[in-house]
Amino acid sequence: MRYVGQPIDRLDGVAKTTGAARFSAEYPYPNLAYAALVHATIARGRITRIDTGTARKTPGVLAVITHGNAPEMKPAPKPNQFDMSTLAAATSVNYLNTDEVYWNGQPVAVVVAETLDVAREAAYLIEVEYAEYPAAVDFAAEEGNARPQKSTMLSEADGRKGDAEAALADAPFALDLRYTTAQVNHNAIEPHSTTAYWDGDHLILHEGSQNVAWVRDHLAIRFDLPKQNVRVISPFVGGAFGGKSFVWPGTVLTALAAKVTGRPVRMMLTREGVFRTVGGRTPSIQRVAIGAQLDGSMTALIHTSVCQVGRTGGWSEQVTSVSRHLYDAANIQVQQNLVGMDLLANTIMRAPGESIGSFALEATVDELAYELGLDPIELRARNEPARNPLDGKAFSHRLLMECFEEGAKEFGWAGRPQEPGSMRDGRWLIGMGVAAAYHPAWRFPANLTVRLSDDGTVLIRCGLHEMGMGSATAVSQIAADALCVPMAAVTVAYGDTALPDTTTAGASSQTASVTASLLAACAKLDRAVFTLARKTPGSPLRGLRRADVTARDGGLYNGSRGESYHDILRRAGRASVEARVGADTRLGEIADQVRSMSKFLLDRRRWVKAACGAQFCEVLVDSDTGETRISRWLGVFDVGRVVNAKTAASQLRGGIVMGIGLALTEETLVDPRNGRIVNASLSEYHVPVHADIPVIDVRYLDDPDPTMPLGVVGIGEVGVTGVAGAVANAVFHATGKRIRDLPITLDKLL
Amino acid sequence: MDFLRPTTWADALAAKAERPEATPIQGGTDVMVEINLDKGRPAALLDLNPVAELRDWSSEDGWLRIGAGVSYTRLIDELGDRLPGLAQASRTVGSPQIRNRGTVAGNLGAASPAGDSHPPLLASDALVEAESVRGSRLIPIGEFYLGVKRNALEPDELIRAVRVPYADGPQYFSKIGTRNAMVIAVCSFAVALHPSRRGVGTGIGSAAPTPRRAPEAEEFLAGELDWDGRTAVPDETARRFGELVARAASPIDDVRGTRDYRVHALAVMARRTLGWAWTEYRGI
Amino acid sequence: MADIRMRVNGSIEKLDVEPRVSLLDALREHLGLTGTKKGCDQGACGACTVLADGERIVSCLALAVQYADRDITTIEGVTSPLQRSFVRHDGFQCGYCTSGQICSAVGMLTEHAAGAPSAVTGDLATMEIELTAEEIRERMSGNLCRCGAYNGIVAAIEEGIR
Repeated sequence: MRYVGQPIDRLDGVAKTTGAARFSAEYPYPNLAYAALVHATIARGRITRIDTGTARKTPGVLAVITHGNAPEMKPAPKPNQFDMSTLAAATSVNYLNTDEVYWNGQPVAVVVAETLDVAREAAYLIEVEYAEYPAAVDFAAEEGNARPQKSTMLSEADGRKGDAEAALADAPFALDLRYTTAQVNHNAIEPHSTTAYWDGDHLILHEGSQNVAWVRDHLAIRFDLPKQNVRVISPFVGGAFGGKSFVWPGTVLTALAAKVTGRPVRMMLTREGVFRTVGGRTPSIQRVAIGAQLDGSMTALIHTSVCQVGRTGGWSEQVTSVSRHLYDAANIQVQQNLVGMDLLANTIMRAPGESIGSFALEATVDELAYELGLDPIELRARNEPARNPLDGKAFSHRLLMECFEEGAKEFGWAGRPQEPGSMRDGRWLIGMGVAAAYHPAWRFPANLTVRLSDDGTVLIRCGLHEMGMGSATAVSQIAADALCVPMAAVTVAYGDTALPDTTTAGASSQTASVTASLLAACAKLDRAVFTLARKTPGSPLRGLRRADVTARDGGLYNGSRGESYHDILRRAGRASVEARVGADTRLGEIADQVRSMSKFLLDRRRWVKAACGAQFCEVLVDSDTGETRISRWLGVFDVGRVVNAKTAASQLRGGIVMGIGLALTEETLVDPRNGRIVNASLSEYHVPVHADIPVIDVRYLDDPDPTMPLGVVGIGEVGVTGVAGAVANAVFHATGKRIRDLPITLDKLL
Repeated sequence: MDFLRPTTWADALAAKAERPEATPIQGGTDVMVEINLDKGRPAALLDLNPVAELRDWSSEDGWLRIGAGVSYTRLIDELGDRLPGLAQASRTVGSPQIRNRGTVAGNLGAASPAGDSHPPLLASDALVEAESVRGSRLIPIGEFYLGVKRNALEPDELIRAVRVPYADGPQYFSKIGTRNAMVIAVCSFAVALHPSRRGVGTGIGSAAPTPRRAPEAEEFLAGELDWDGRTAVPDETARRFGELVARAASPIDDVRGTRDYRVHALAVMARRTLGWAWTEYRGI
Repeated sequence: MADIRMRVNGSIEKLDVEPRVSLLDALREHLGLTGTKKGCDQGACGACTVLADGERIVSCLALAVQYADRDITTIEGVTSPLQRSFVRHDGFQCGYCTSGQICSAVGMLTEHAAGAPSAVTGDLATMEIELTAEEIRERMSGNLCRCGAYNGIVAAIEEGIR
């Protein structure tokens, strides 16, 4: 392979470094109007009065839309696991079609005006009165109301092997610990933005999205349109991390505002608006209990969780999933619980479940190691399973201990004294921590076409999403290798529902999903081109078998005999040859979904697939003030085959940076009295800055997973897993303090 | 929203007299936040950028007179040697982009308890030069802060300059935040030693409704320090100084930190800055 | 409304804006220069960083009318080897903060060349401040990157100063 595996620059690099890349709020339209939201200020209740008089009279205001005058929209479809697009509804609220308020921050009015400033000024002038209902908004206080989470086809909410409680009670050594993690928010730097216009009964939307097809399908339902009447365009997405997977109120209401005013309308949410109308990662309460023999072998592992969901929707996190896979405990019990809250629906955020679940599990394992006087890596080695611990399924590929071994060597792990508080540099206490990273590998159906033109160029049309993962670059590399053409000859069209539906850019699944279809399409194309060459009179390849022919240098050859794709197509009088994967009829689509779902389930019965790794962290903790700084980081990962050495490393680093925020600084604070987020800004919600992040050394083993297309395992999320655990463990090693509550802020270390 | 753009200081004062509700704007780094976040929509903005008189600083009788339009960046570059405490604090304000535009006068106008320039101004007995068409007056910094985001300016007054005496001894500033940069202080502290009068100045930030000094701590330390012999500060003295500083604060729990943490951290910062300052004084 | 002129990326632009319009909105919505990004509208993310007479500022906290007759450079007007270095070192992922990072880096190098110290600069008497990774990180901390491309950005700037 000439391109796969190489550190190739991003194809959109020039566009992004010159300001030429257009994001969704940047499409110019004549007669463009601007929209702004008014947010509810109570958690639960009913609107009794909205005074829009002053707002309406403000010069430049085109419309003030409230539940009193909004056109009727269809309700959101009920989530149905057989039709994934129904998951697109972030909440079940029919915005501005109801006087009910379900969360503090719910949009209760939209102002449309000639300019952005007028829209915002008028929004500020709207007065709303409410009749308040009692509301459950304090997560800590609602723990007792949690109920067992339901399993879905994608994610099981509980599981057991043996009797873990009994084994725990009998264990010579046992730990039974409680952890809490704060709500956090994605905070992509691009606020959610939509530019929408109606062309008759066609709706066109520019929208930063992780799944353009879901946005299309959802809006078609809400506005009662055939889905081919909706087009969603999203070539650049300014960060997403899960926060742009589903359809949040701003998107629906921009389309509504455009409908009401008959104008193209743009709405870029304010940063506060993002916090108030786009869900974040649920807070959690977790219990991890481990029983062990004195040699460290685990006899019991219990991992349970309580998370929240909004009453109008919310993602059920797979918090305990890591405990199904990481340790070879004789008895295992995992169980997830949910409590319904009168808060904005939470949603998926980079490694939902595993990011926070791995914190609790990996901190407990570390604690066990210290209690037993074992090196934490040695303890893991003694519990490394040969098969999936919970159910005995085979691992498709697992080099976890190899990651630990390489990491320990590179990081200088063995040289550290294990005694907590034993390393110091002036006022700084130094600590080293380690944790496992783990994220399941997924694959979903993806449609695409590959077209070879008579000028030798290749066009891939594929509705994939590019939020910065480098997907289009990776796809070009794979296609160039598959067809043996130069990368410069390959173009990828993406981020548009006018292209074949692909898959969600989530669950670290996009590259693997697209790769499977891409390889299939390239193989089809190759056969079609070869057949053409073989049959075309005068072709040097005439009469040969495929086995006699090699693809190379942008053509097909048998030794020196053969010719370029350009010549093959010209000779045959064809402008282009195209291969496609995926159906173009509704029936075909359903058949595809059923086929892929059964394949998926069959695959899941046979294999446990994942990306994994070892996170090594060194922290400095100020002995007097508790200020914690990350001074060194090393992550060694088993992520199957790496398609692009440069962008893959960036993805892994990005995950680690987000994990450092989760560990140390990030916390969405909800007022326990009224459910209002009190730090809805980037000045009070602290994502890591340049000065917080040292050189992050990232390595990977680059060993293909034999069960995945091209051996590719998703890479986008594994980086964030294990990070908070490694930080907490390093903080313990530095200070002797176990902080079991994220984020690990200053005051907790006193 | 009206936009007033006087080009001379006299015109600025006249405009403020005529429109006392007008919000003065210089770098914009505080006022614009309020406007953009819909927290306040002033009836009028009084843009002081064109007023040339505000752009410079001058020096007279051991005092610096820093015009209200002098940015943090210029203060750091041009006055860092004479006002080390204020310069250190200025280096931690927001981001470099903010420091290029923001001013000490703007920090005073906003009077946020978390403003970074307040502690060193308190520690060095600065004066705020306020002026209106009625005349000019010097407000001692200790009397300037009246409450959360409230200051002693009359409605028709504008800040002309901040007057700060040349450092006559070591000055240090310390700030604790939740990340390494771009932080609003969880709490902050400044100390200034005044060997010429054997005095100590202090300033506490983000730990009370207003920035404030710790007078008891100042008095205690001034009496304890071995100004002539320059012998090391006994641990007990440093500890007591820290305690008195912490006692002067009245912090609360808020989104950035807890009351208890602030009390603890203030004592630490007081001891630490004293240590740096005394080491410098001893010339070692 | 105020009629102002501004030199943007070398050409004189006429703007008829309300006084309350920020420089950021004037650039994006009135002049169509959307390379400058809005991330927080309160000076907390740096995505809107532009150069005003060569000095980096956050354009969201500036009123357009305050910049009448000034010289503004946005990413569309930047031609710097840093742009190539950002690509080579993968100093971005989604690209949304990139314009601000690059404008900020250009302004930062000017500040450094003029001898400006930072919060991590130790001895102020030192004439030459070495632009170490630590200095670069501190001086670039006004620009958030949620994709976490910080290592690549620092590497790109290090290459730029070599």
